[in-house]
Amino acid sequence: MPTVRNVVKKNFFRDSVQLLHLSEEAKKLPGVIDAAVVMGTELNKELLEKQGLLTRKGREAGENDMIIAVKAEDSADIEGIISKIEEMLTAPTTVETYYYSIESAIEHLPGANLALVSVPGQYAKEVVKPFLERGIHVHLFSDHVPLEDEIELKRFAAERGLLVMGPEAGTSIINGVAVAFANVVNRGPIGIVAAAGTGLQEVSVLISRAGSGITHGIGVGGRDVKSAVGGIMTLLSMGAFEADPDTQVITIVSKPPSPDVQDKIINFIANEGKKKYVTCFIGGKDYEIPPVAKGRLVQTRTLHAAALEAVRMVSEDLYKEAVKKVFLPPEEVVKIAEAEASKLSEGQKYLRGLFTGGTLTYESLVIFQELLGDVWSNTPLNKDYQLPDPWKSKENSVVDLGEEEFTAGRAHPMIDPTIRVQRIVEEAKDPEVAVLMLDMVIGYGSHPDPAGAHLDAIRKAKEIAKEGGRHLVVLAHVLGTDEDPQNAAEQERKLREAGVIVLPTNALMALTAAMIVTGRTDEALVKSFYEKFLVGRR
Amino acid sequence: MSNVEKILELFRSEVKIVNVGLEYFYKELKKQGVQAVHVMWQPRPKLEKDLEEILDKIL
Repeated sequence: MPTVRNVVKKNFFRDSVQLLHLSEEAKKLPGVIDAAVVMGTELNKELLEKQGLLTRKGREAGENDMIIAVKAEDSADIEGIISKIEEMLTAPTTVETYYYSIESAIEHLPGANLALVSVPGQYAKEVVKPFLERGIHVHLFSDHVPLEDEIELKRFAAERGLLVMGPEAGTSIINGVAVAFANVVNRGPIGIVAAAGTGLQEVSVLISRAGSGITHGIGVGGRDVKSAVGGIMTLLSMGAFEADPDTQVITIVSKPPSPDVQDKIINFIANEGKKKYVTCFIGGKDYEIPPVAKGRLVQTRTLHAAALEAVRMVSEDLYKEAVKKVFLPPEEVVKIAEAEASKLSEGQKYLRGLFTGGTLTYESLVIFQELLGDVWSNTPLNKDYQLPDPWKSKENSVVDLGEEEFTAGRAHPMIDPTIRVQRIVEEAKDPEVAVLMLDMVIGYGSHPDPAGAHLDAIRKAKEIAKEGGRHLVVLAHVLGTDEDPQNAAEQERKLREAGVIVLPTNALMALTAAMIVTGRTDEALVKSFYEKFLVGRR
Repeated sequence: MSNVEKILELFRSEVKIVNVGLEYFYKELKKQGVQAVHVMWQPRPKLEKDLEEILDKIL
């Protein structure tokens, strides 16, 4: 009989990524069957329970306590294993240049011009302020930053001409440097301002794949375009790109801004802007293009379209080439959907999207609203379609695994695939499921091999379906470039080998999934989708 | 138009980053060869909690 032991360390803090790595190391210790080192949040305790790793002691841990959970072979020295893990926990950090105060860190990095802040949200203001006071721009990754703190920090920064990118900014690319979660993309003439993290990743990657490139990508955080914040950083960034001699085209990406902020953005483009603009307010309503901006402003509905239209503003030739080579033409999509739909058994009628990227989830929901009507989600467009239990899909479901209920005290699913891997197998057991959709976000910040980490689960899911006499369609979109450390081509190859169909954009993955589950594989549908969602309006 | 000189300066300069929080991001920056330093940040212990524990032990 294996033994399970929990040790609780009161008020002991390590960040979620450190703990993830520690758990992986602990699993490798001799005699260990399974192990996890986690903060004692409710979510983590539930997951330990599911893994058979929770004891009564662990159950009593609070969210500021750390749980060391070990399942070991009967013959193993469990005390020895636990002391080994405790040693690893207190081992000196591997970081060679570290400081205990912001002041000494700044002193030791002459010319520091950007701070990347990822402390818990309630502490963000006290950490960010000293940087702004010293004239240093900030990328604020933290979530749960109080709204009033965000407003105060952004006003303070704007008065000094400084950027506060975030809070909840997952991505920015400054001078080719990938900050937090970002990809290695070409340098080029397109500047991006994004209030949507994976939106910035998808647009910058698609621009790069299309043969153009970006000057900088500024993530402003989702709330920046809401009335309360008033678009402070969006407008400041637009102003900076207007003044930047290397930027020719400015692309703005977000979920629908508050109407007053959207007006400010459009008025800025019309009255102060001189450059070319592409807007992508995913899920927003079309707006009237001001006559003075005609010819230099294009509005789009998807990240796919935003990237292509931005490239088109740089070069019509590049655009034509990209439409043919990088982005699938309609007849190709029809071919894929027809072939897959024909393999389905009766009763297989639903799709299940398991996403790690928030904007990719949202974009899929917007597309499905058009092609399928409402679908269930933990982040639905229509509140009536809120999944009663985010851990269990129903009918057509799209789940954002980066949301709070899946990440409290845990690393983001782009780093830690554990939850999605389990979910893939669960979904395959449902005989009504026809299609699984997966986003594979690569680049700096992401897991070193997301495709590889999902292969076993994908194979198992396909096997489960096969044993039930069904064919499970698995679609994926690899968000990344061949220059990313994980190499997009290599990731795609691994997935294809496991029978996954890889689509070049998130929008095309959603279209293909919808066609397969509805069996509507006619070219007319695809063409009208392309016109509405994949081409801009001038 | 707002004062954007400091942002243009950032655009023109080599990016040098002070990382506060997730050590993981520092490592990702170093992998790119970015000049960066890391601040070992920890939340300040809550005094109330500490007091609670001391009281627990005494009482």
